[in-house]
Amino acid sequence: MSNYRFDRLKILVVDDNVHMRKLVVTILQAFGVIQIFEADSGDRAWHILREANPDVIMLDWVMEGMSGLDLVQMIRTDPQTPNPFVPVIMLTGHTSLDHVARARDAGVNEFIAKPVSVKTVMSRLVAVIEHPRPYVRTQGYFGPCRRRRGAEEYRGPERRNEAPQQQAAE
Amino acid sequence: MKRQQPIELFMPPNMLKAKVGGGLGGIDLAAMKRAESAMETLKSEFGDWIAEDVAALIAARARYAKTPDAGARDALLRAAHDIKGQAPTFNYPLIARVAASLSRMIGEIPPGGAIPLSLVDAHVTAIQVIHKNRMQDTNDKTAQALCAELDARVDELVVVAAKT
Repeated sequence: MSNYRFDRLKILVVDDNVHMRKLVVTILQAFGVIQIFEADSGDRAWHILREANPDVIMLDWVMEGMSGLDLVQMIRTDPQTPNPFVPVIMLTGHTSLDHVARARDAGVNEFIAKPVSVKTVMSRLVAVIEHPRPYVRTQGYFGPCRRRRGAEEYRGPERRNEAPQQQAAE
Repeated sequence: MKRQQPIELFMPPNMLKAKVGGGLGGIDLAAMKRAESAMETLKSEFGDWIAEDVAALIAARARYAKTPDAGARDALLRAAHDIKGQAPTFNYPLIARVAASLSRMIGEIPPGGAIPLSLVDAHVTAIQVIHKNRMQDTNDKTAQALCAELDARVDELVVVAAKT
């Protein structure tokens, strides 16, 4: 038993589909999270983010206007961001390796592949609490290190310099 | 190979762990149980939710049929993508499969490429029929044959689109 104090967390849930938001919020409330903020667009999320400074963001990829990837990029690199290290858990129906790589290159910490389940929400929350990844800054990227192990010893090529963060959100 | 440049690698303080505590880590079973129970309660609303999602798809299809521009195409993709992700939760896996096929078709045909409205309609109609008849069993032979046919048609289209 872990006895996390989820009631101390502030979580922002971003999804333009009201049903998905309600589903995720219901699960988080049952976990004991009290401070839950909801946004139905990337623009609204950015506004709330700057006011509430949440501890964790749960974010949909496909949204009208600003996409989830665009928002992650802003969170990581915009000078106005309140916390460039905030863990981002992406909810997505995209599960191909190419999509996962693009999301990681934009600065996503963890994924939840839809359909959402109680077990996956819990496991990704625990992952960002217990196994935070180091952050890396190169000329073209800032965000969580994609390598879960061995990052400290990495001496290979800086591939992200050739595939800057800008491209991830395109 | 290019000259290796230094990368800045650092570990921010784990503020989350400091905030929520937790003994040995791992899954919080009591919280899981509460959430599963809350999901059971929520299930009574799933019938309305899938109906609203199907209605949103029909509206997006109508918009695309009237004006097949980039905005209408994006709206159609979002509606199909939402259903693909949520229908399994609402206990409509066959609807999810058809919506996945529709999402794939729209997503893999390059912007500006022609998306045949007849094939969009075939998907949307299939979703309506599955929903209207409450076909929730993935073993339904008729539904399986329909899904396979839609998959095959999309396969053909995607192959052609990839070559052009």
